[in-house]
Amino acid sequence: MLNAAIESENEALSPPKMTIRDVHVHYGDIHAVKGVTLDLRPDQVTALIGPSGCGKSTLLRCMNRMNDTIADCRVEGQVFLDGQDIYDSQIDVVQLRARVGMVFQKPNPFPKSIYDNVAYGPRIHGLATDRDALDEIVEASLEKAGLWQEVKDRLDQVGTALSGGQQQRLCIARAIAVNPEVILMDEPCSSLDPIATAKVEALIDELSARYAIVIVTHSMQQAARVSQKTVFFHLGEMIEYGDTTQMFTAPREDRTRDYITGRIG
Amino acid sequence: MTNSTILVVIALLAVIAFAVVRQKSVAVVSGATDTLHSLPRYHGYYASLMVLLPGLAVLALWAVSGKTIVENLILAGLPDAIADSNAERLDLLINRIRLIAENGTGIETSEHLLAAAERFNRLYGMGIVATLLLSMGASAAGYLYAARKVVAEFRARPRFEKILHGLLALSSFLAIAITIGIVASLIFESLRFFQQVPLDEFVFGVKWSPQTALRIDQIAAEGAFGAVPLFAGTFLIAFIAMIVAGPIGLLAAIYLTQYAGPATRNVAKPVLEILAGVPTVVYGFFAALTVAPLFRDAGIVMGLDVASESALAAGVVMGIMIIPFVSSLSDDALMAVPDSIKQGSLALGATPAETIVRVLLPAALPGIASSFLLAVSRAIGETMIVVMAAGMRPNLTANPLEAVTTVTVQIVALLTGDQEFNSTKTLSAFALGLALFVTTLVFNIFALQLVRRYRQAYD
Amino acid sequence: MTDNTRNILDQQVDWHSPKVRARLRRRHRTDFLFRAIGFSAVAAAGLFLVFLLGNIIKNGAPGFLQTSIEVDVAFDPSLLPDPTLERAEFAAAMARVDLQRLLRQSLLDHFPEVSGRADTIRLTRMLSSGARAQLRDILVRNPAVVGTTGKVWLLASDEVDQVVKGNVDISLPEQNRKLKNKELVWLQRFESEGRVSLSFHSRFITAGDSREPELVGVWGAIVGSGLTLLVTLLTAFPIGVASAIYLEEFAPKNRFTDIVEVNINNLAAVPSIVFGLLGLAFFLGVMGMARSAPIVGGLTLALLTLPTIIISARAAIAAVPPSIRDAARGLGASSMQVAFHHVVPLAMPGILTGTIIGMARALGESAPLLMIGMVAFIVDVPGGVNDPATVLPVQIFLWADSPERAFIEKTSAAIMVLLFFLIAMNGMAIWLRQRFERKW
Repeated sequence: MLNAAIESENEALSPPKMTIRDVHVHYGDIHAVKGVTLDLRPDQVTALIGPSGCGKSTLLRCMNRMNDTIADCRVEGQVFLDGQDIYDSQIDVVQLRARVGMVFQKPNPFPKSIYDNVAYGPRIHGLATDRDALDEIVEASLEKAGLWQEVKDRLDQVGTALSGGQQQRLCIARAIAVNPEVILMDEPCSSLDPIATAKVEALIDELSARYAIVIVTHSMQQAARVSQKTVFFHLGEMIEYGDTTQMFTAPREDRTRDYITGRIG
Repeated sequence: MTNSTILVVIALLAVIAFAVVRQKSVAVVSGATDTLHSLPRYHGYYASLMVLLPGLAVLALWAVSGKTIVENLILAGLPDAIADSNAERLDLLINRIRLIAENGTGIETSEHLLAAAERFNRLYGMGIVATLLLSMGASAAGYLYAARKVVAEFRARPRFEKILHGLLALSSFLAIAITIGIVASLIFESLRFFQQVPLDEFVFGVKWSPQTALRIDQIAAEGAFGAVPLFAGTFLIAFIAMIVAGPIGLLAAIYLTQYAGPATRNVAKPVLEILAGVPTVVYGFFAALTVAPLFRDAGIVMGLDVASESALAAGVVMGIMIIPFVSSLSDDALMAVPDSIKQGSLALGATPAETIVRVLLPAALPGIASSFLLAVSRAIGETMIVVMAAGMRPNLTANPLEAVTTVTVQIVALLTGDQEFNSTKTLSAFALGLALFVTTLVFNIFALQLVRRYRQAYD
Repeated sequence: MTDNTRNILDQQVDWHSPKVRARLRRRHRTDFLFRAIGFSAVAAAGLFLVFLLGNIIKNGAPGFLQTSIEVDVAFDPSLLPDPTLERAEFAAAMARVDLQRLLRQSLLDHFPEVSGRADTIRLTRMLSSGARAQLRDILVRNPAVVGTTGKVWLLASDEVDQVVKGNVDISLPEQNRKLKNKELVWLQRFESEGRVSLSFHSRFITAGDSREPELVGVWGAIVGSGLTLLVTLLTAFPIGVASAIYLEEFAPKNRFTDIVEVNINNLAAVPSIVFGLLGLAFFLGVMGMARSAPIVGGLTLALLTLPTIIISARAAIAAVPPSIRDAARGLGASSMQVAFHHVVPLAMPGILTGTIIGMARALGESAPLLMIGMVAFIVDVPGGVNDPATVLPVQIFLWADSPERAFIEKTSAAIMVLLFFLIAMNGMAIWLRQRFERKW
C-alpha cells in the first residue's frame, strides 16, 4: 500500500535522487530498521520523525554508509544513488560520502581554523586546482551557510571557538564545500538554542533548492517548518510517508496521530 | 635484640591494651553496652592507638638517629691524636669502626679502633635497651591516659576516627616527604661535591675521569669532573632509542586504535604488555649478548667499524623496551580525541589515513608529544641496559657506532664495588644523580602539563 | 560576494572522469600503505618479543641441565677416617680428608695411561670442584662405603659440560679451546662407556650463588627477592592504600592536595636509580642500616612502588559509585565507617590488582638495589631481612658479567625463572581483575 503510493508519485515527478528499497539493519541481535522503502527527490527536504530509538538515525547512516564504521552492523536491502546501488562492491565509499554529505547532532568542527575546516573536504578530494580556487570554494560555502559575514575577518581562528550555532553552520559549510548531491542531517539543531535553530532552519530551507536533504528530527514543529515530505518511524518500522502538511493535519495511521498528538514519545 | 624485637613488643602491648580496655568499657557500664556512647571495640581501638603511637614514635626516633648518636659519642671518646683529623678521615674511621663492630676484628689491628668498636657495640646495645624501656614507658603512659578515659560518655569512636584521619593524611604526605628526601639528599651531597669541584667545571667540562689518587705522586691526582661527555652519551642513546620507539610505538598505537579489529587487538595488547613487563636487566643481557655482537658482525660485513659496546646496540634495545610505553600513552591520546571528530572527517569522504594524518594526529598532538617526552625521560633515566651494554669510557661523539658512556652508567660505576666514602668520586655520583633528577623532572613536568591542558580541551 | 563565487559550488563534479578516478586510486593506495606500515609496526613489536624470548629460552633451557660423569670411586680406607667412628666424629674427621687425592686416584685407575703432573691435573679438572662435596656427602651419609668401590655420578666441570651440550666448536684449533684434545679423547672414552649423562640439575633451583657455573643456583636469589618484596609489600601497601583513601575520601580540594597530586604523578616518573641514591643516602647514610640487607632493599623498592600503588588504589576507590557512599551515610555511618566498611572492601580487588602489578615491577627492578650494595657475591641463602642477600634480577646482572661461557646459559635460565615469577604474578592480577571485576 505504501509502495503503491510511492510508485504513483514517481510517475508525476522528476526521477528520485536516492531510492531506498526494503532496507533492514541489524546491530548484532537487534533489528533496528525493518524493511524501509523510500524515495528522496533532489529539491525536497524529507524529515524522518519518530520516538527515540525508532531507527531513524540508523537509516540515515545507511545512506552514506557511515554504518560501515560500526563493527557488528549488518545492512540488507538496497539503497540507490542516481540508480546505482551504493552497497555494490563497485562503489567507492570515499566517493559516496563526498556525494552524500552529513551534518551531525552535535556540532563537530575539527580543531583547526575556520578556513581549514571548510577547505578540508575540497583539499582531500582535490576539488580546487589552486589556492585561489580554494579560497573561492571556502568563501562560497561559508556564504551559502550564512556564516561568511560573521567570520570573514577571522578565518584563521579555531573553529571550536565559535558559538554552538555558528559551529553547526560551519559544519554545514564544510559539508557543502565538497559539492554534495544529498545532505543528511542528524538532529542538527538538538544542541542549539532557539535563535541558532531558527538560523539553521532558514539555511536548510535555502539549501533545499539545490540539494536533496534528509533531516532526522525530534521536533515535530521543526519537521513541519522545514520539510516537504515526512516519514514517521516507530520501532524500526516505517509507519507512514507523505506530504508534511497532510501528515500533520490528517495522518492516515493511528500511530502517527498518537505520536503527533503526544501520546507516544 | 634488634629494632624489630621492640616493634613486636609494642605491637603486643597494643593488642593487650585493646583487649583490656574493651573489657573495661563493658565493665564500666556493667554490661549495658547500649548506654556507652561508642561501641566497646572503639574504646579498644582508641586505647591500642594510644599505646602504639607513642611507642612507635620513640622507636622511630632511635632507628633514624641512633647510629649517628653512638658514632658521635665514639668520636668524642677517641684519643685526640686520632680524632683531630679532618672530616673525611673521620668518616673513614667511623666506617672502619663499624665494620669491626658488625663483622668482627678481621684484619684490623689498631688498638684504638678495636677498643672503639667494642665501645660502639656496648653503647649501641645500651641504646637499644634504653629505647625498649623508653618506648614501653611511652606506651604505658598512653595506656594509662586511654584507660582513664573509659566512661560511658567518652566519645571513643570520633576520637579514634580523628586519629585515624590524621594517620591517613600523614600517609599521603609521605609522598611529598619522599620527594623532599630525594631533593634534600641529592642537594646536600651535591653541595659537598661542588665545594671541591667548581659548578662550571661540572656543567661545561668536557673531560670526565673521576680518578682520585691512591698515591700522591700519581698522575690525574685531581681527577676531572666535566659531565658534558656523559650527558652527550646519555642523549645520544636516548635519541637512538626514540628513533626506534617513536615511530614504531606511535604507528602501533594508530594501527591498534584505528585499523585493527578486536582479534588483532586481543593479540597485540598482551604482546605489548609483556614487552613492557620484561625487566630491564633482561633487555640489558639481550643487548650485550645478542644485539651488540649482531651489529658488530653486520658492521664487519658492511666494512664499518662498530664498537662491541656501541651506542647503537644499547639505544636500539632501549628503544624496543620503550615501544610499549610510547604506544600505550599514544593510544590514550588518540582515544581521547572525540569520536565525533573522526566521524565528521569520514563523513566528508576522507579515507582513514587522511582522517588520521589530517585530523586525529593534530588533535592528539599534545598527548602524543607528552608521551614522547615521558619516553625520553624514561630513556635518560634507564640504567640496566646501558650498564650492561654501553661503554664505561667517556666519549664525546655523535657517532652511534662508537661506545659512549652515560650518566646512569657512571653513577653505578662510582657507587658499586670498593668505594671510599665521602671522596670526591663518591660525591660526584650524587651530583650526577641531581643532574639526572632535574633533567627528567623537567621532561616529566612539561609532559604532564601538556596532558593536563590537553585533557581540559576535550572535557 | 560575486555571482562567480556562488557558482563554483554549482558546478557538478564529474566523479567518473579519469582524473578523479586516478586521484581516488592514489588515495586508496596511500591508505593501504599507511595501514600496512601500521601493521608492520605492531608486527615488529611482536617479532622483537618473539626474538627476545626465543633467544632467552634457546640459551636458557640447557641451563637447567648439567653433565655428570660416572666414576668408579675406590673409597680407599687408607685415605679415609675409620667408618666405625661415631657419626659426629666421622663427619669431623671427614672435614680434614683430602678428597681431591681420592678422586685423582680413582680417575688414574680408570686411565692408567695418564701420567705426569700436568695431565693428571687436567684429568681431575674434568670434574667440577663440587665433586669433592658430592663425595663428602656420600661418605657422611653412609660411612659404610669406606673400603668399597662404587660407581658414583659426579658433576662435570663447566667446560666439559659446554662441550657435551655442543656449545663449543671442537673443530676450532686447539689453542682457541679451553678443553684440549687430550681431554676430548678422555671425554669420548667416558661417553663410549656410557658414563656421561646430561640430566635435570636440581641444584640450579636449590642452591645459592657460586663462582663455578656448574654449582650455581637461584634459590638464594629467590629467597632474597622474596624477603625484599615482603618488606616492600608490608610498607608500601598500607601506606599506599591509606594515602589513596585519604586523597579520594577525605582530602579537601585545595592547593596543598593539588601539590600532593602533581607530586605523586611526577614521582612515578622519576628514574629508579634516583630512588637508589635516596636509599643510599637515607637508609645507609642517615639511619646506618646494613648494606646488602633485604630490609634496606625492600624499603628502597617501597619508595619506588608507593606512587604506583597510590595511583592504582585511587583509581579503584574512585570507581566505587557515590551511591554506595550515600546509602551508607544515609544509615548513619561516619565517613570513616563509610570508607572502611563499604568503599575499601568494594575497591579491594582493584587495589590488589594494582598492588600485584606494582610488586611485579619491584621484582624486576635492579638499578636502585645496586646503589645499596645488593650486588655482593653471597653464597649463603639469606635467613632473614637483615642478612646480606641479593635478588633475582641482580643475580642475573652478576652472572651476565661473568666471563665463563657456561654462565650465559645460567644467566638465561635465571631469566626464565624470573620471567616465570613475573608471569605468575601478572596472571594472578589478571585473574583477580576478571574474577572480581564489577561494572557499576
